[in-house]
Amino acid sequence: MTLLWLRVAVLLYGIAALAVLPAALYNRPRWRHLAMPAALGAVFFHFVALAEMLNAAHHALPVDTHETLSMLGLLLGAAFLVLAVRYRTVSFGIFLLPVAALLTVVPAFRPGAELLDYPLLHTGWLFLHVALLLAAYAALLISLIASVLYLVQERRLKQKRATPARTWLPPLETTDQIALKSLLFGLPCMTAGLLIGSVVALETIGPRFFADPKVLLSLAMWLVYIAMIFIRRHSGLRGRRAIYLSGFVFLIVLAVWAANQLSVVHRFRAP
Amino acid sequence: MSEQTKSGSLLLVGVNHTTAPLEVRERLAIPVARLADATRSLAGQPGIREALILSTCNRVELLTVTESPDSTDGAEAATALSFLENFLNIPTAAVTPHLYTLREHEAIRHLFRVASSLDSMVVGEPQILGQVKESWNIAREVGAISSTLDPLLQRAFAVAKRVRTETQIGSSSVSIASVAAELARKIFGSLASKTILLVGAGKMSDLAARHLIQQGATTLLVSNRTEARAEKIADALRTPTITTGVIPFAQLHEQTHRADIIITSTGAGQIFSLDNSRALVHRRKNRPVFFIDIAVPRDVNPAVNKLEGCFVYDIDDLQQVAQDNRTLRSREAETAESIVQIEADRYGERLAQAPATEAIKQLQSSAEATREAELARTAQRLANLNAPLTPEQQTAIEHLTRSLTNKLLHPQIMALRGTDPKRRGEDD
Repeated sequence: MTLLWLRVAVLLYGIAALAVLPAALYNRPRWRHLAMPAALGAVFFHFVALAEMLNAAHHALPVDTHETLSMLGLLLGAAFLVLAVRYRTVSFGIFLLPVAALLTVVPAFRPGAELLDYPLLHTGWLFLHVALLLAAYAALLISLIASVLYLVQERRLKQKRATPARTWLPPLETTDQIALKSLLFGLPCMTAGLLIGSVVALETIGPRFFADPKVLLSLAMWLVYIAMIFIRRHSGLRGRRAIYLSGFVFLIVLAVWAANQLSVVHRFRAP
Repeated sequence: MSEQTKSGSLLLVGVNHTTAPLEVRERLAIPVARLADATRSLAGQPGIREALILSTCNRVELLTVTESPDSTDGAEAATALSFLENFLNIPTAAVTPHLYTLREHEAIRHLFRVASSLDSMVVGEPQILGQVKESWNIAREVGAISSTLDPLLQRAFAVAKRVRTETQIGSSSVSIASVAAELARKIFGSLASKTILLVGAGKMSDLAARHLIQQGATTLLVSNRTEARAEKIADALRTPTITTGVIPFAQLHEQTHRADIIITSTGAGQIFSLDNSRALVHRRKNRPVFFIDIAVPRDVNPAVNKLEGCFVYDIDDLQQVAQDNRTLRSREAETAESIVQIEADRYGERLAQAPATEAIKQLQSSAEATREAELARTAQRLANLNAPLTPEQQTAIEHLTRSLTNKLLHPQIMALRGTDPKRRGEDD
């Protein structure tokens, strides 16, 4: 049943991702009436599938890469809905919905078979650690997309080309707000996620956990994240330089993600 | 195509900005306060059953349903002219050369084009639909429209809505002031709580400021070499919801960072150089600032546009955008024209079929009445002979007679459906 819900979610993400294109790029508002319910349905079925799957297999904890990516997809889908309702723009769906669909398609059609029975998995703390960090990654991705949209709109305005009033690009101030607010949302998520992970690791693995490259990279990511928010708030960094900064932090996030493969302690195995 | 309403003929007589100069249009214009009286008076003219008057600054049109379907254009136009002569005291000779007369399908198409803003001076402008609706409301209130014009007007509104939804005919601004407001919205989104700085005084800058205030800007600062003039402008634009203030011209650069939109029109050389604009951006912590430079020579160094966060549009830029938008609108207008054509044809066909549908209904009901009477008579005769029909026989006979009636009527119904109502009228 879980896989069925997940496949329905993939289908609905796909429909929403396609419908959002004419709605945003071709000024066809009727397509919004298809994109929004499809995205809402996708997020709902995705949530049900993920909750069922995690509860049945891993005691509510995403263990393998596919499940973690799927959860990130769910967060991105939900973020799209929040942005569409709050800022009345579906433009973010052009990027977020295909990514959500792609992140969901693998677990939907090639589910992982890992079954772990590790006592730590029975606690909710690890779930919180993973969920909060994924939320921070999603926020960073949204901030990056918003910065790109800002740059495109800024260039259009500077080139002084005529465009319809109902353009797919949100106003500069809106994209700027989205970029900053998503970063501000991501910071407590990342901080709390890392803190929870550190406390759990300290209790179960001991101080050697903190010499792990994955953990060191995570700390660097957190520092850069804080620096980015400080620079943005303090100097009002926008446009091209904001993209470079967001892009740099995003690369660090990818490095942290990839470091899972190198880490000897950041694994779901008993120490 | 030629179709007539059930018991009348649709006629539209009028002048617009393409057929009549302003001197004629202003004499014909009927103020909203007098529109109800005028509509009532037109509907009361001999031979007119329904009437609606559309009076705007660009057109005066009388849409009527006449009682006589076979009257000539000349007679109907004469009625309209006599109404104008009596109501507005205008000699017919002054109006006749500018008048156009449209009948039936052409009148329907014209009405759809007007409501969809395809016949407007600025194609795609949104006000005309509201004006048509106002005329329709007035005509309904005075009881001047009923079974023919009421559905026609409602269809016109639906067509206008379809045109707006399916094309981008009204989605871009074509005047300098509205282009500036549209650009401001693309930068700031909502203009609520935004501050406008007016540097210098001029009609165009005043117009642009008013347009931005209409869009939601709440604070207006004015700076002018003559402070008294600045205060006069600030006073003129102050309302309970708009806060205004004056910045002494000597302190302009110290205060400019307070403004999000700067409309400048002094023509006194480059007041905003690259250096002081860079300082401005720094003081605003890179928050965007929009320069609307309508001065000649320009007040803002064009290179300021290259600074991050600065958007500079001079008068030529605004005009170019307006021109590009006009081109965009005319492309969209082609699509809109085809929508209107399809809708007018469809409505015309429906109108043309209305008399045939009525005749078919009458024919069927008459045949059904005859069939039922004959059945009852036969049943009575059989009952008198003590040979009543069994329920099965009754059903069989019912089926037989109904089938016979339908088959006998079929060629006539087909003929009615395929007959041109006008020709049928002549034949009758």
